[in-house]
Amino acid sequence: MTRRRLAVAGAVLLVAACVEQLTAPGDCPDYCPSGQITIVDTLLTTSISRDSSYRGYVLAYQSSVMLAAHLPGATDTLDGRPIFRINGYGAHLRISTADTSTGLILGADSARLQVYVVRRDTATHNLRLQFYRLPITIDTATTFGSVAAPFTDSLLRSVNIDTLLAQPGRKDTVTGDSVVVDTVNHRLVLSLKLDAPAARYVGTDSGTVAYGIRIAADTLASIAFGKGTFGPVLQWYLRVDSLGTPVARKPGVLSAGFASFVFAPSPAPLDSTLAVGGVPSAHSLVRVAFPKFIRDSSQIIRGTLFLVPAVPARGAPADSFVIEARTVFADFGAKSPIDPRLGDTTVIHPDSTGTVKIEVTNLLQLWAADSTHPTVLVVRSQAEAQFFGEIRFYPSVAPAFRPTLQVTFVRRFPFGVP
Amino acid sequence: MSRAVRWTGGRAVGTAVVAVTLLSASPPVRLSGQDSQFGIRGVGTPGRWESVRSRSTGGAFGPFDPLSPLMEAPLADIGQLTATAAGGTSHRDVAVGGTTTALRATRFPLMGVAGPVGRRVAVAAGFTTYLDKSWDVTLRDSLLLRGVLQRYTDELTSDGSVADVRLAAASRLSRRIAIGAGVHVLVGSTRMTAERRFDDSSFQTVRQSAEVRYDGLGVSGSVLIGVAPGLSIAGWARSDNRLRAKVADTTSAITDLPRMAGGGLLFAPSPSARVAASAVWRSWSRAGVGAFDTWSWSAGAEFGSRRMPIRLGARGGQMPFGPGTKAPTEVAGSLGTGRAFAQGRALVDLGLERLERRGGGLIERVWTVLVGLTVRP
Repeated sequence: MTRRRLAVAGAVLLVAACVEQLTAPGDCPDYCPSGQITIVDTLLTTSISRDSSYRGYVLAYQSSVMLAAHLPGATDTLDGRPIFRINGYGAHLRISTADTSTGLILGADSARLQVYVVRRDTATHNLRLQFYRLPITIDTATTFGSVAAPFTDSLLRSVNIDTLLAQPGRKDTVTGDSVVVDTVNHRLVLSLKLDAPAARYVGTDSGTVAYGIRIAADTLASIAFGKGTFGPVLQWYLRVDSLGTPVARKPGVLSAGFASFVFAPSPAPLDSTLAVGGVPSAHSLVRVAFPKFIRDSSQIIRGTLFLVPAVPARGAPADSFVIEARTVFADFGAKSPIDPRLGDTTVIHPDSTGTVKIEVTNLLQLWAADSTHPTVLVVRSQAEAQFFGEIRFYPSVAPAFRPTLQVTFVRRFPFGVP
Repeated sequence: MSRAVRWTGGRAVGTAVVAVTLLSASPPVRLSGQDSQFGIRGVGTPGRWESVRSRSTGGAFGPFDPLSPLMEAPLADIGQLTATAAGGTSHRDVAVGGTTTALRATRFPLMGVAGPVGRRVAVAAGFTTYLDKSWDVTLRDSLLLRGVLQRYTDELTSDGSVADVRLAAASRLSRRIAIGAGVHVLVGSTRMTAERRFDDSSFQTVRQSAEVRYDGLGVSGSVLIGVAPGLSIAGWARSDNRLRAKVADTTSAITDLPRMAGGGLLFAPSPSARVAASAVWRSWSRAGVGAFDTWSWSAGAEFGSRRMPIRLGARGGQMPFGPGTKAPTEVAGSLGTGRAFAQGRALVDLGLERLERRGGGLIERVWTVLVGLTVRP
């Protein structure tokens, strides 16, 4: 009996020993600690200096998309045209998979060209694509002007995307074109049939073809075509000579060996402003004299970089773009290696002139934690050369509009003081 | 010794060994006494240097109890090696500003070992709580930041205590007089945190923490006089120098500690009835602004055999820290019992205390369940 009582008492004690609840509302100052959390907010107006801009980090052919646009402006028209080249099979093609004998490719009955539209504005109406045959010599040095002529006189096909989307099954039974809407990835897969006159297989060129695309719409004609995995592919339907007899063959699809885009007008040359974005992409470096009294504070709880646009942001009206601020591992000017671990972003709306704010709290915390880290911010487009958009900010030499940094930090709590 | 008695004694000793081991292995943080909101603004809440037996009598038996680390002189009559430990669970209702909050905590405020080292001398060593410094305060407020009124919630916490490590010796000079003295090393630490969460997530949560270490030193002396058969009086005095708080090896505060003196009277008209009373003065005003000198009193009785007595008591007095110009007051009633096992080699004491503290618009009401374990191997 005594043992049982002891066991019960022990169990009660064990349960009782597990409880702990000490949290109570404070009734200050009488029943609160004398020390308080002290927050300081300061605007660093002169801590940013020696800022500069550089262009040429990502070129058009290095972009992951091909930009197409036709946007009339006040003084000029932004015209972007994708160009791509698809290498052929050569002059001969294997007739059968059973042996290695080849036959001369006599020509093409037809072909089917497939392109991915990876970004578009659904508010765009009457979107029209025009496909042109370009010289197969196009390469990374090709400019807008160098292909202006074929973009004028070598029209291959035209297709109206809105009309095609309105067709039953999204197929045009007359032209053989079709479009598939990928609602998950927000892509259009456009398949164009090229008939015999359009699908010219030139054996002396090894069957290589090059095409260019111009777009037009009622408004906001700005889209992006995919590259690489989502780049253009071409399916040939060929006639091959088999011991004097033409036979039809359907070889495997071919993807683009080169894909880029050309555009006009070219971006304005860099000046004293801080340029960000555009094609080729531009970076701006902002060097910060990080005050010791902030570095030595216990915690930075908010840091905001303020940048004042010198001119309205340029770009397709519907193509807002994201710029980001990052730190660098070392300050080597234009070639400073960017620290990929932390980054802060903000969205830029074309034609906007409002002050741009980027929350850079984590970057400032990194500087406070690692005193060897260069206190340099790189401001660049998050998706470089994937938008025409570019923004230019006032530099530190413009006293009234220079970049500023607002930092909110906490002083050390007076622990141990009654 | 019968088999049953051997079994009970062995289990009791084993339990005591486990309890002492667990308590010894824990940091001083767990050896804290009883929390109070009145201690937040000051250096803490003073502990009660009493065993469960003494506390069940309102503290009145403290000056005469060899297992209470209040006085050293009663150690002279300890007779044999004795170890003791105490634990308690408190349920505290804090009423302030029209809001009542229920709090609870479990503490282990006492552990000690004492025994004779010669025919006339006994020594003791142990821990008790000097200051409890565990609290957790939350508050809502706002401040103007970047031109916008930002609402936030602060949570300030302290978890820990200052322990009084006592080394004491006592000697019975004659049949009527025993004296004792002790050295007190004050040591402890608190884990303190300060956190601010803004409603606007643009501002990151503020989190700061530090471990504050404390140290200090004190000496005490006491005398126990048998005035007549069944009637004893006791007196004691203690002086502690200062409490130094250090954060990362940098001294953040130095607080003067009080001098104290107290006395008591014990009357045992028969072997089954004992009554006692005591009073204590402490010069806590030395601790700085918002601190007061305190008086406290207690009276209690113990009835029945020592094998299973009934205890009750009451006490009252002042708290050393509080707002305003007047010290907060406290009053308590308690009762308890005990049970001896294994021919008195193991004792379990149980106590229940009801306490009320008032002052500066704050009222605390506390129920505390106490458990004490004493082993005489």
